[in-house]
Amino acid sequence: MPQSFHPLTVADIRSEIDGSATSITFSVPPHLASEFTWRPGQHLSLKLQVNGEEQRRSYTISNPPGAPLRITVKRVKKGCVSNFVADTLKVGDQLEVMAPKGRFVLDPQALGHRTHYFFAAGSGITPIFSMVNAVLADEPYAVAHLVYGNVEAGDILFEAELTELLERYGDRLTVRHVLSAPSMWSWFTPWRKGRVDAEAIQAAITETPPVAQDVHYWICGPGSMNQDVRQALNGLDVPNSRIHSESFGGEGAQDTSVSGVASQVTVKLLGQTQTVAVAAGQTLLEAMRASGLRPPFSCQSGVCGACIARTSQGKVHMRSRVALEDGDISKGYVLTCQSVPTAEKMTLTFEA
Amino acid sequence: MTRMYHLMPVEAYTSQDWFDREQELIFSRTWRYAGFVEDIPEPGHYISVQAGLNNIFIVMGRDHRLRAFHNICRHRGTQLIRAVGKTQKALTCPYHDWTYDLEGNLVSVPDEEREYPNGIDKSCLGLKPAAVDVWRGMLFVHPDPNPPSLAAWFGEVDPHLGPHKPEELVEYPEARSSYEIKANWKIVVENYIDVYHLSHLHSNTLYMYDHAKAKYGWSGPHYHFWEPPTEEYGANLEKNLPSPRVIPEPHVGAWVPMLFPGIGLGASEESWNVFIITPLGPNLTRIENRSKVANVSGWEYQKQEWSSWGFWKDFGGPKYEGDDVASEDDPMASGDFTAEDIYACEQQQKSLASPFLEIGPAATGESPITNHQRAILEFMKDHEK
Ligand code: FES
Ligand code: FES
Ligand SMILES: [Fe+2]
Repeated sequence: MPQSFHPLTVADIRSEIDGSATSITFSVPPHLASEFTWRPGQHLSLKLQVNGEEQRRSYTISNPPGAPLRITVKRVKKGCVSNFVADTLKVGDQLEVMAPKGRFVLDPQALGHRTHYFFAAGSGITPIFSMVNAVLADEPYAVAHLVYGNVEAGDILFEAELTELLERYGDRLTVRHVLSAPSMWSWFTPWRKGRVDAEAIQAAITETPPVAQDVHYWICGPGSMNQDVRQALNGLDVPNSRIHSESFGGEGAQDTSVSGVASQVTVKLLGQTQTVAVAAGQTLLEAMRASGLRPPFSCQSGVCGACIARTSQGKVHMRSRVALEDGDISKGYVLTCQSVPTAEKMTLTFEA
Repeated sequence: MTRMYHLMPVEAYTSQDWFDREQELIFSRTWRYAGFVEDIPEPGHYISVQAGLNNIFIVMGRDHRLRAFHNICRHRGTQLIRAVGKTQKALTCPYHDWTYDLEGNLVSVPDEEREYPNGIDKSCLGLKPAAVDVWRGMLFVHPDPNPPSLAAWFGEVDPHLGPHKPEELVEYPEARSSYEIKANWKIVVENYIDVYHLSHLHSNTLYMYDHAKAKYGWSGPHYHFWEPPTEEYGANLEKNLPSPRVIPEPHVGAWVPMLFPGIGLGASEESWNVFIITPLGPNLTRIENRSKVANVSGWEYQKQEWSSWGFWKDFGGPKYEGDDVASEDDPMASGDFTAEDIYACEQQQKSLASPFLEIGPAATGESPITNHQRAILEFMKDHEK
């Protein structure tokens, strides 16, 4: 399926948490409306020119389906895109935007009697916020429990919206704030101090246990949080099939700590097999394109999932992996646009 | 010629064959009441329940999530657990000690190397999953792990059932009882939903509600019924209620639905009751009663008892008196409407075998009975392949 960018007009820009984040709402023209529908949890890829250079980024849609198309961008120190968006972008500007993508999605079930636990930290709240909204609006028999970690009260995204949701859906929603370094001067009392760790998870589940059998756990946070929360849940015998997680990428979250090694990669693409030499530090996608192959790709930022392939031999390091669920990774799926080989020999298959 | 009882052959109330078909096509294909939510209060607790041909147990895992499984050891089928209990992390079959974790995975087979020298794949010998869900503070199980949603099953009838929130009430343990009635389960259901009999069989017992103003109807296979207090009782209702309210004013009346199959509820201003009907044989049925009341102090109960004393002191009485009374324990002289109902059901069942039985026409207040028969016939037809 070809992935193309469409020009969308910025309808609204709002600064959040004292300018530390920016919410951008797009107006979607009627002829694009069907392409720009989304499922709670999906992302939007943008292509923009900053100082004459093309940049591609992906951001989570922070509104539930049906509401205006909105993304929320956290300002990153020296992050060229997030600062451009916060300081230079104006209402009425046009941005190149690709249709919503992503596999970390919560599809509401009108008759589902489900209990959802959401574990978010920092800007990992963006897909989660959209999911919580969807559950409250479109899953009338379901309940939602959010555990949300931040450094201090001033970092809490969507605080006002969450308070509003609590007022409206108090019998079906709980929100627990966990702060790792709450300011002494803040009036805000978190539910707990510390991190969203095993103890906090156990406490949340004991205080508000699941209603019945159909329980789902959704995790989105930076760094090792997903793994930590998953382990804590596994420790309580929660099966992996009920845990859904996504590492929070976005700007600045690329993990470039591993540079990769030069590698000989056997590529199986559209029934053809070919060997590609990948230089140290080069991504699989870059190397394949450089050697004349035409593998599928689109956002080049690890979000859309268009460049997915499966490894059967050899390992890679992924700089970012927003488009993959943890379950995909254990099956050997990689995003070629984000992968540098860490083995000298590899086999890569494009399945679709 | 088949003798008919309204829409069904009389045989449907007496034969083993009908009983077996109902077990298979109705009671093994529907959501089955399993108890109150508080029956499984903590991780490790479990209960089991017979749902038609299936015995299903519910257990709470360490994540506080409920799971349901068929209570069948994957080795040679032995029932794994007894009615209620508590475990730590595992369930062990009494026969050869095969052990399952609370996710249903088979985790250990004793003497595995010796007994299975060619190996045994434990991963495909997990317990068979069933489904459990909660509605109005009650647990329900379904033998199919992916059944039609419970919310949908009761969704349409729910608005007709009164504003009670059973999960906020407390059980009144003295009211818990279980007994057998020597009659077919349908006879018991029909008695429960027979509007005609209220002012006759129960002429001296249930007369605080106005049977003439009863409103009743059907949502799919589920029957709902509501009637207001009589003028006499209602004029001073807040004073006359025998115990504290469980629903907010201005809601009044008695809601007495019969959900399919055989799940009777009885709710009023001051209590909420379940009346669970389980067929044991063509002529034998088990009833389980449980009752919930307001979660308030003993003092509140005391005050309400005093205020209502004037109304209740002369209320009620036996249907038969004097020479009509057969013996000391004649149910018709008990002044207890349950005893009256049991008596009527058993007396009716006794006649069903007689070749001279011929059922008279159904009265208006008996339309629920023919409707119930229709619901059964339709459900069985839909589930027969
Ligand atoms: S091209 Fe979009 S994830 Fe790689
Ligand atoms: S039947 Fe259960 S262990 Fe043998
Ligand atoms: Fe009766």
